Amino acid sequence: MSVAISIRELRKEFVLSHSGAGGIKSALLWWRARRLERLEVLCGVSAEIQAGESVALIGRNGAGKSTLLSLLAKVYKPTSGQIEVHGRVAPLLELGAGFHPDLSGAENVLFNAVILGLTRKQTMERMESIVQFAELESHIDAPVRTYSSGMLARLGFAIAVHVDADILIVDEVLAVGDYAFEQKCYARIQEFRDKGGTILFVSHNPEAVRRVADRCIWLQNGLVAADGGVEEVLAAYYSADHS
Amino acid sequence: MLKELKELWAYRELLWTMVEREIRIRYKNSFLGFLWSLINPLVTVAVMTFVFTKILRNDTPSFSAYVLAAYLPFTAFQFALLDSSQSVLGSLPIIRKVYFPREIMPLASVISNFIHFLLSLGVFFLFLLGVYLLNPGQLPFPKTLVMLPLLLVFHFALTLGFALIVSALNTFYEDVKYILSISLYLLFFLCPVMYFSEQVAHAKGLPDWGFTLFMLNPVALMCTLYRQVMLDPPQIRTHSEILPNLALEPWLIGLGALISFLTLVGGYAFFNRMKWKFVERP
Repeated sequence: MSVAISIRELRKEFVLSHSGAGGIKSALLWWRARRLERLEVLCGVSAEIQAGESVALIGRNGAGKSTLLSLLAKVYKPTSGQIEVHGRVAPLLELGAGFHPDLSGAENVLFNAVILGLTRKQTMERMESIVQFAELESHIDAPVRTYSSGMLARLGFAIAVHVDADILIVDEVLAVGDYAFEQKCYARIQEFRDKGGTILFVSHNPEAVRRVADRCIWLQNGLVAADGGVEEVLAAYYSADHS
Repeated sequence: MLKELKELWAYRELLWTMVEREIRIRYKNSFLGFLWSLINPLVTVAVMTFVFTKILRNDTPSFSAYVLAAYLPFTAFQFALLDSSQSVLGSLPIIRKVYFPREIMPLASVISNFIHFLLSLGVFFLFLLGVYLLNPGQLPFPKTLVMLPLLLVFHFALTLGFALIVSALNTFYEDVKYILSISLYLLFFLCPVMYFSEQVAHAKGLPDWGFTLFMLNPVALMCTLYRQVMLDPPQIRTHSEILPNLALEPWLIGLGALISFLTLVGGYAFFNRMKWKFVERP
């Protein structure tokens, strides 16, 4: 097996501001004396994930799970440490983060699939399959502002699983749509795994973790508290959480 | 910077898709669509022509053609900057999720506005052709028109340079968009759109360095050059005197090219320094 993701001593700090978005006035007045409060979200995380593994990230709110996923998607630059990602990453966009309300479903599919790394030609070839998967055949030419949140989530999921990523990043959005669609999502994820895809996902739902993951990493205060089999890490997490 | 340009090239399909999206969005819910891009300058120029020829007695023949020749590039510059100032901020939700070169957003705003500008320029030339055919001899296409592509490059580079700076700054300080709209409004009066650069050159009581300063404003220089390149020299008649024309001097084009190139390189360097902080905006 080859390594898909290798993380070494990863640290990430954020600058906190108590005045909301920075204003020009405060920047000009206090640019020398300004006190920057820093928050260390990840304080030295190391992990190695093999290609084909399905890893769940668990931990309390603010433990650094989403930050870690964002770092893997190259959205942030690490403060220090290294991340090596082998293969193409596709983040699953929650509730159509990149959708424009006035454009039709099809136009938004094109835009989002190209952002996630497909060419325009590839997207056009897969359009039918994406629309079919999202069960939106009759609405795909309507502007997405008319979509329900379930429809948006289905479309977002359908795009993400059609872009041929090597690594799928999922941040708590598996609970989309109704029961039948959820089953379809799990089936599709299984299919993705059978083809050798790597999955990294955040979840607070132990059922989802047991169902999808074969390894579990517990993050606590920006550090790896436990890393191993799903049952043992879940058990350690829940016993620590309830004590 | 070379590394960034290489990456940008790899993402060219996304750039085209984003340009297409911007163009679609702009007139998505309007009935007249692209026609608004034409109606706006035509109405403005009609009003300006009325005020300046009838009330302020500027008797230059074909006054409206000269106004239009400078007004179209000026508004293209203005709209591109206003659009791109919001481009990064408006896309924060998606930037927080997916990686792609951030400069694609201001670049797409500038390109889509530039496409609108080129279309309106096409209509402008149709208008000139119509005048020429109806009144033979009036407003012929001058030889200097061969320089137009060069001028377009200079215009594009200048706009993009400022767009990169403005889009990065506005992401952190939303005051920038207010400062920008006031500045552009004032800039309009400092650019030869409603008047001629010749009138500044020969303004009584204005020292020579005043005119130099006026021409050092790259947007004023751009408006002047568009007129000189696209139209024959005007016969400027005000208060019964005819002002001599400014020559289209190659060194002026060189200066414009230099300023716009420096703006672009500086703007891109600035943007690259800031772009990793967009998502971490406090």
